[in-house]
Amino acid sequence: MVRGIAIVYGLYLLLPMALLAIGSFGQNWTNTLLPSGFTGQWYMELWSDPSFRKGFVSSLVVALSTCAINAVLALPLAYSLHQGATRGRAFAARIVSAMPVAVPAITLGFGYMIVFNTDTLPWLGSTPLLVAAHVIATLPYLTNTLLTDLRHLGIERLEQAAATLGAGEWQRFSGIVLPSLRQSMLSGLVMVAALSIGEFNLSNLLVGFQNRTYPVVLLQAFYGATGFACAATVILLLLASLAALLSSSLLRKSP
Amino acid sequence: MSLTFENVSYRYPGSQQGLHEVSFDIGQGELVAVIGPSGSGKSTLLKLVAGLETGYQGRIALAGQDMAGTPVHQRGIGMVFQSYALFPHLSVRDNVAYGLALRKMPAAQRHARAAELLEVVGLSDFAQRGVQQLSGGQQQRVALARALAIDPRALLLDEPLSALDASVRGHLRDQIRALQQQFGATTLLVTHDQEEALAMADRVAVLKEGRLLQIASPKDIYDMPNCRAVAEFVGLSTILEGRVASGGRVDFGFAELSVPTGTHRPGHKVHALIRPEHVEPDPQPGQTNTLQGRPGACRYLGSLTRYDFEVVGAPRAFLAEGRQPARQAIAIAPEHIRLLDA
Repeated sequence: MVRGIAIVYGLYLLLPMALLAIGSFGQNWTNTLLPSGFTGQWYMELWSDPSFRKGFVSSLVVALSTCAINAVLALPLAYSLHQGATRGRAFAARIVSAMPVAVPAITLGFGYMIVFNTDTLPWLGSTPLLVAAHVIATLPYLTNTLLTDLRHLGIERLEQAAATLGAGEWQRFSGIVLPSLRQSMLSGLVMVAALSIGEFNLSNLLVGFQNRTYPVVLLQAFYGATGFACAATVILLLLASLAALLSSSLLRKSP
Repeated sequence: MSLTFENVSYRYPGSQQGLHEVSFDIGQGELVAVIGPSGSGKSTLLKLVAGLETGYQGRIALAGQDMAGTPVHQRGIGMVFQSYALFPHLSVRDNVAYGLALRKMPAAQRHARAAELLEVVGLSDFAQRGVQQLSGGQQQRVALARALAIDPRALLLDEPLSALDASVRGHLRDQIRALQQQFGATTLLVTHDQEEALAMADRVAVLKEGRLLQIASPKDIYDMPNCRAVAEFVGLSTILEGRVASGGRVDFGFAELSVPTGTHRPGHKVHALIRPEHVEPDPQPGQTNTLQGRPGACRYLGSLTRYDFEVVGAPRAFLAEGRQPARQAIAIAPEHIRLLDA
């Protein structure tokens, strides 16, 4: 039973990916189950298409900025939430962990469209607004990763031990808390990067023409040749899978 | 350095638990074990000394110096936690040297010092390992070395053995005691294990509901408890309610026994404490304080058998120990019955 479900799930997950990969090398693909002919032409075209290269760069800029801001925000946030939680106020921590489920990205996107399309706040289509939206959407994931690790480590005990050995507040934070969270921070950030690179809902609503991210540009490709669209999708898939794999292998290494 | 508690009171916000007017002191190099049931306030005592809890009344002084205004990290007190609390991102050596690094000791010097201490706790070969690779007992030895490395003014041990297997516990207990004596560390040990307390401590303090009931040498705590609660908490016993009769005798209802009554006047209600090893099986006919009855539940423990003996008419069975359970009668020598105020 479990095995059957796993197989069906695997098929549904892998088949489209396999077809995309095959399609990206196929010469012709119209109204048949599989494409005919073999070519590297679509990848060459993709490489020489300026809008895709620009989208690629935009995506990287947005992802890296999102990571940088997340790194600065998530650590103090997770730390103070953890301290609050140990004092019996777990509510705030619960809100943060539930947010990505409770508030769909599209809600956030529409909200931003209304607020930032006004004369007072005419920022719709700007890269900073897009980065801000990505930060809001991904912050809970990183915060949760850190919170789990803080709980698992029993950080207050470690801090108490450090304190009795002579560590002041800042020494405890920089010498014990920070390095203990190193691994989960890194793995969380790679996950954030993966989420940001693959993000479509928010980006599609908020980007301007000049700073379209890769997934948004990708949508256009499906109005053209199938092989080209496949090749463009495969690139995105590779990028996101690489980040996800890196993230999970980092997490496994952490004690 | 001596550690002094003077009328120390503390209450956890919104609860009845805490400490009430606790006073005692620990001499230079002495090990005092604090025992008591959970919620008795023994861990609170430790946290107050360490500075991990603040806002108490009374005075806690180290070598005569009041600790109230000194934050945790300036107290110079070594602490060993039940959960070891080793730093997972540091090697064994760097864990031990952590406190020295905070004191700005040069690297070469602190590594030498850490090596010395690891030698002392028998973990020299593990200096470069990660702490996760060690067993529980080894981790606790690292924690001890880490606490001793800073030359602590006092050492606090918070249930240091209770997370360990019984097989490791006995050995480590001896090792901790030996190191404590070698370093001459003024030590406060908190434990719920009374056997551990009796075996390790110079003096044992019994705490109940935040009050200090008695502090005395292990032998005095066991042989001469000052109240029923201490007698019940330390060691096994049978405690009977009775009333002092005349002529050095106490009436227990089902029998009258010869007991050195001391200051207890005839007519006073008393509790009589009898330890199981003082119950003599099947005595010679005519021996003082002989009680007839029959054996109840027996627990074979290898070196001895611990059994209940049901004396005719007694409200509860007598707990006894010996090679063989008594068959028909037991006797208790008068000097082995201790009277406590009811």
